Amino acid sequence: MLAGKAPGLQHPNSNSILRGLIITLAYDDVNRTVTKRLLEKIGCEVTAVSSGFECLSALSNVEMPYRVVILDLQMPEMDGFEVAMKIRKFYGYHWPLIIALTASTEDHVRERCLQMGVNGMIQKPVLLHVMDSELRRALQSASE
Amino acid sequence: MNTVVAQLQRQFQDYLVSLYQQGFLDNQFTELRKLQDEGTPDFVAEVVSLFFDDCSKLINSMSRSLERPENVDFKQVDSGVHQLKGSSSSVGARRVKNVCISFKECCDVQNREGCLRCLQQVDYEYKMLKTKLQDLFNLEQQIVQAGGAIPQVNIN
Repeated sequence: MLAGKAPGLQHPNSNSILRGLIITLAYDDVNRTVTKRLLEKIGCEVTAVSSGFECLSALSNVEMPYRVVILDLQMPEMDGFEVAMKIRKFYGYHWPLIIALTASTEDHVRERCLQMGVNGMIQKPVLLHVMDSELRRALQSASE
Repeated sequence: MNTVVAQLQRQFQDYLVSLYQQGFLDNQFTELRKLQDEGTPDFVAEVVSLFFDDCSKLINSMSRSLERPENVDFKQVDSGVHQLKGSSSSVGARRVKNVCISFKECCDVQNREGCLRCLQQVDYEYKMLKTKLQDLFNLEQQIVQAGGAIPQVNIN
């Protein structure tokens, strides 16, 4: 499990909505490294994990108020939906926000995401500006 | 204006553009470069290094699964192709990703011969890309050592 401190923000006001802790869960090194760096680049403080267990453990740490979990849905040997379900079961439907990364935008995937209480979806491969706007959108609507 | 630096920068730019034009890289590589800055100058090199390690491991395990014609674990091969497709897609390794698409099709119909061909192709492509990117990183290093900055290259 890795924790990173975000670099100094250039526009603190516009990025204040993004400031805050995020967990990113991906199975392989490449995707985990890229997603973590992408999030740090947009001003987030990130903890990267590689299992559902690590994810749930991190969330249970009261000293680290995670706001969002970025969850890769297509992982070998791990069901992303199951992880989402467990998060909702233990922590309820309002927190943390869950944003799913998926290779497919098929309807049944969207449906399942909604059922699991996922707050946002991003298609892979992830673009910097797409992550930025989807995060903002989800955080904005959560605060309303 | 330091002409040595300018020359190197030109070389770097031309080489990078050629990699896109020849289809080795796609837009996702551009995204990856955006994530690199003064605080993380080796980010791209580190990520592609992880990617090539992954390629090597996955190709080896898929090769083992495909070894005996009477006992092919297509599920395992499919899992490997899926992973390879995912990571090649994230780093912008276009040719590798494209082979994975054909590879998946061979897997779906349990075509062992087709899978073996794709495996060979994916091995070739990742090694080719590895060499190309090594050349690119060497150029980068030369620019930095000569006191210059790595140019931001716009791919149209």
